[in-house]
Amino acid sequence: MTTGEITISDVSKRFRLDRDRPSSLKEAVLRIGRTTDIDDFWVLRNVDLHIEPDSFFGLVGHNGSGKSTLLRLIANIHRPTTGEITTEGRMSALLELGSGFHPDLTGRENVFLNGTMLGLTRKHMAEVMDDIIGFSGIGDFIDEPVKIYSSGMYVRLGFAVAVNVNPEILLVDEVIAVGDEEFQRRCMDHMHRLRENGTTIVLVSHDAALMRSLCDRVGWLDHGRLVEVGDPDDVIDAYLKHASQDEGDTLTARD
Amino acid sequence: MMLTLSPSARKSANLIIHFAERESKARYKRSLLGWFWSFANSLTTVAVYSFVFGAVYNAQPPITDNGRAENFGLYLFTGLIAWTVFTGVVTGCMGWLQDVSDLRKKIYFPTETALLGGAACNAIQTALEAAVLLVIMALFTNISWTALFLVFALLLTMMFALGVGFIVAVLNARYRDIQYLTGVLIGVGFFLVPVVYPPSLLERDDVPEIGRQLVTWNPPAIFVEIARDGAYFLQTPDPLKVLVATAWAVGTFTVGWLYFRSRSMEISEEL
Repeated sequence: MTTGEITISDVSKRFRLDRDRPSSLKEAVLRIGRTTDIDDFWVLRNVDLHIEPDSFFGLVGHNGSGKSTLLRLIANIHRPTTGEITTEGRMSALLELGSGFHPDLTGRENVFLNGTMLGLTRKHMAEVMDDIIGFSGIGDFIDEPVKIYSSGMYVRLGFAVAVNVNPEILLVDEVIAVGDEEFQRRCMDHMHRLRENGTTIVLVSHDAALMRSLCDRVGWLDHGRLVEVGDPDDVIDAYLKHASQDEGDTLTARD
Repeated sequence: MMLTLSPSARKSANLIIHFAERESKARYKRSLLGWFWSFANSLTTVAVYSFVFGAVYNAQPPITDNGRAENFGLYLFTGLIAWTVFTGVVTGCMGWLQDVSDLRKKIYFPTETALLGGAACNAIQTALEAAVLLVIMALFTNISWTALFLVFALLLTMMFALGVGFIVAVLNARYRDIQYLTGVLIGVGFFLVPVVYPPSLLERDDVPEIGRQLVTWNPPAIFVEIARDGAYFLQTPDPLKVLVATAWAVGTFTVGWLYFRSRSMEISEEL
């Protein structure tokens, strides 16, 4: 495998629904002997996908189609129920608000912790600390516990860390939408630059225009199945057509 | 020569250090006296039990190697160190896992490092307490090379406790009852381990044989006994007990570790 490559082979993911899960021993004992398979929920079914190194891949799909779950599986946060995912290279993920931050630690401590989790030395993190503080624009708040941060600050610091650790694979869920216009533009610029430096990027977004302009290839997930993968315009057109037929969809195409 | 570690081992080592630091900071955050409290805690326990058992019930501490040191507090302190490692790490493991649960849902890292880091912090604190004990023993001129068996016993206790801790932490992630159950069992266990009383107390006819065996052979009791042999009686522990203790520690740690590893990916969905 080459660095930056992601291979997803026949991956399915099952979640047990909450009401199905006994939360106390008493409940667990009362449930012995009952079948619970009925309440299983398959978030992803038989997904096969190969993401080339050094490419920008986009994922579209309605809410609950399994996009975020797929990113989490790639990020090794959950394990696929069946199938296998292999990734090669240092992976940095920006999956949700405050991704990978511990609320009680200060911004600075969290930056070091994140670096450690990615296998980087404190020395390296100390070197990029100024870049991170500069990029996030949170100034003196870097030495305050992140629990007092606003959601915008969370995202800005999260993104600043994710892109400043020289990731070979970068996973981004639609979090950047939380930042203001100016920050979003900087994020885009930065992703372009990372892309040029050979980072594989996987982006989940509902912003069709953004996806068209950034991605080399786009995959469309529908109810946990990967229905189409290919040229961004083709896939997004097919998806939008399907979505407009489907009432109640929340896609916003900001052209 | 630098120890060469694989990148993933180095990453885990750095994470363990991080979690150990965090645990030590979190434990005494916003307290002026910080680590002093951990000493104050054990010293108070020793003082209270010494008073209750020594002064009120007039229990006689077993004679030490130098033939004096008739101090019930020291006898108690020696056993209590090992017992505290056991309870501290077992209950700690559940908390340490819960503490990182939100983090683990958002980013991947080897989850066991949080437990190992917490245990490392506990180990440092225990080392300080053991040092205090040995200094006091030295003042009583009751010290010898056998004190190494105290260190050995504490290491075994740590391993055993981590093995148990790994298991209860995983179970507790699913059923929160486990932490209360563990609390109750530890409360009972305290009296199944001869910490506040000498084992000779059981050599009475009205104590059933099974009770005697249970108190003699349960793993924490063996650890306590080895610790006491080394630091209080200054004698070499019974080799059979050393063997049994080592088997318990290594076996429990291995089982707990394997169980934790086999479940560690599902933990992010449970927590």
